[in-house]
Formats: sequence, structure tokens, C-alpha cells
Amino acid sequence: MRRLLIVAALAAACAKPAQKDYSKLVSSNPRAILVVPVVNKSVDVDAADYFLSTLSVPLAERGYYVFPVNLVKRMLEDDGLSDAALVHSADPVRLCSLFGADAVLFVTIQQWTAKYVVLSTQVTVKFDYVLKDGRTGEELWREHQAGVFDSSSANSGGSSGGLLGALIGSLAAAAVTKAAPNYMPLARDANKRALAYPGPGIPAGPYRAEYRKDLPASPPAAPAPAKPAAPQAPPAGKTPPASQ
Amino acid sequence: MRLNILPGALALAAAAAPFGCASNTLYRWSGYDEALYDHYKNPQKRDEFVAKLSGVIEEAEKSGGVVPPGCYAEYGWALYEEGRTAEAVVYFEKESKRWPESRPLMEKLIRNAARAKAPAPTTAAAVPASAPEEAKK
Repeated sequence: MRRLLIVAALAAACAKPAQKDYSKLVSSNPRAILVVPVVNKSVDVDAADYFLSTLSVPLAERGYYVFPVNLVKRMLEDDGLSDAALVHSADPVRLCSLFGADAVLFVTIQQWTAKYVVLSTQVTVKFDYVLKDGRTGEELWREHQAGVFDSSSANSGGSSGGLLGALIGSLAAAAVTKAAPNYMPLARDANKRALAYPGPGIPAGPYRAEYRKDLPASPPAAPAPAKPAAPQAPPAGKTPPASQ
Repeated sequence: MRLNILPGALALAAAAAPFGCASNTLYRWSGYDEALYDHYKNPQKRDEFVAKLSGVIEEAEKSGGVVPPGCYAEYGWALYEEGRTAEAVVYFEKESKRWPESRPLMEKLIRNAARAKAPAPTTAAAVPASAPEEAKK
């Protein structure tokens, strides 16, 4: 238990928040976000739909209006856009005006590979999230989540600081070892990390109390005071002394 | 080894508080994401999907909470796809009223539903009527 916590803490500590440029997102100030079908570059044919089903909840919980993803998907299909790659290459301004959205979120599964070794399963995942403005088409925010999960060592790591750190163990093991894997835990965890703010994610939308109060100050000086959010990574410089 | 890990992992998972039971969530989702997931996994079990969407709305309304964004419309769309147009419109209207951001889309869907109900040959002719409105947005 303790060891696991430490692993998770370390993984979090490594995720140094390379302060993003939020200026375009802040000035665009979207309320309503369109989530279009996910582009799937992995070999698992069903991954895209599964992933799509996990996006509404975390995004709406960030305080935005999120258009119903299944309705949007079906409407696009009726319009001849049943190929997600076509949707992603469409003009974001046109997409948004079709639904009355302020911004559109494009998610791509770059990789979702399960490697079955003797006693364990190793899953490598890579996701890209890109938010584009509905008026200008400009990119407002982008995040990449990557991680490797190994069911035997219950260890994880990745370029974004251990995608699966918080999910080590039973949940994730169940997600990767079953013949028909359950994607929900892994996808949820990736989304949660991607959208976490402060962190790599997006500031609160209009339905959260901290809307417009949590915007990044020019240089991130002292740790933001009013932030009862999830336990954040300790300052990058400090190594947790309990880690031995 | 494995056995040692499990309880800790469960505790961790509980601490990570998956959406729905954490105290700081805005909405009561009642398994909306799982309903979608199951629907994509087993599209033939459509009745279950529709019932689950209805359940999400019921749960939220019963508890006096806000029905999460998109849920009225998602349910309305499921009804619409089954040809239950009149019922669908009720939910499109609810979405529109509760979530003003959805209004342009809901109005469009309500117009579509009205056209679907009246088997008029105006399907194509009706499109331009909505175009100027969209352009203004």
C-alpha cells in the first residue's frame, strides 16, 4: 500500500507542469464544447467509440456545457461524416456553427497496444487532445497523455508522468487482462489527468464556482491559495523524503 | 505479492474517487458514460440503453439536482431515432430550457421532428429556412 502510494506520488511529481500558454483559451472563453468522434490510430477497432463515451463527464465536470456525444455522432453520420478522420479534418468553424458550439474537442488515440508476456500484460497508450476555437478555428489548448501499464510490476510511467499512477492494481489489471478489455478505467484516468487544472488541463468553465477566478497569473508565483482540488504534485524541486 | 497489492489498490481507487460519488462533482451522472459505453459495446441492446438514459434523468430530477448537460437531449435523440417524435420534442425542449447553450441545436432538432411528423414533401425545401439563422451565430 505504502509503496504504491509512493509510486503514484513520484509519478505525479515528475509531471512538471510545463506552463502552457492559456491566452487564447482565456480570451476565447468558451461555454459550450462540441466533442466529435475520436480518431483511432490504434489496432483496436472499437477503442474510438469506447473512448468517446468517457469524455462528456470529465469535461462537463470542468464546468462546460458539453453537447451530447452520441447525438452529435449520429447527426454527423447522417450528414455523411461517419469517418472520424473526415470530421477531424473538417473546418472547426463550420463544425461548431452546425451545432452552435463555441469550441470543438478533437481526441485521437495514437496508440493502445496490449503486449501479453508470460505473466503479465503490458499496455501502452497514447492520446492527443486538441481544443479548437469555433469562431477562428485556432488551436486553444492541447494535451498529450502517454503511459505504460504493466500488470505484473504494478508500475507505470510515461511522458506525462505516469498516466496510470492512480489506478495501479485491480482496476487497471482488470482492464487489461480480460479477453474483452474494459476501457473505462484507463480512459477515465487519462481524461482526468489531461483535464486537471492546475495542471495540464483547462481552467474552469462557467458552471464552476471558480470560473474566471482560476486563470493563470502571468508568472506562476506562489501556489494558488483557493484551490481545494485534487492533491497536486509537490513542488518539482522537493523530493518526497518518504520515498525510501 | 498480488494479494498484497489488491487492498491497497482498492483503497487508492476509492481515494481517486471515480466520478459520481466524489463530493465536488457538479452533477449526478448515474452511469451516463457507462450507458454509452455499453451501447457501443452491445448496440443490439438498444432498449437497455434507452432505459438507462431515462434513468439518468429520473435520478437527477428525483434528487432535486440538475440533469447533467446533454442528457435530456441524448434521451430525446434516442426516442427520435425510434420514431417517438412527440416524446423526443419534449426532451429537446427540456434540454433547451435547462441549457441555453443547446438552444440553436435543439430548435433545429425540434424543427426536424416536426417535419418528420408531417410527412410533407418539403424535406429539401426546409433546409434553407434554417440556414440564415445558423449564419448569424
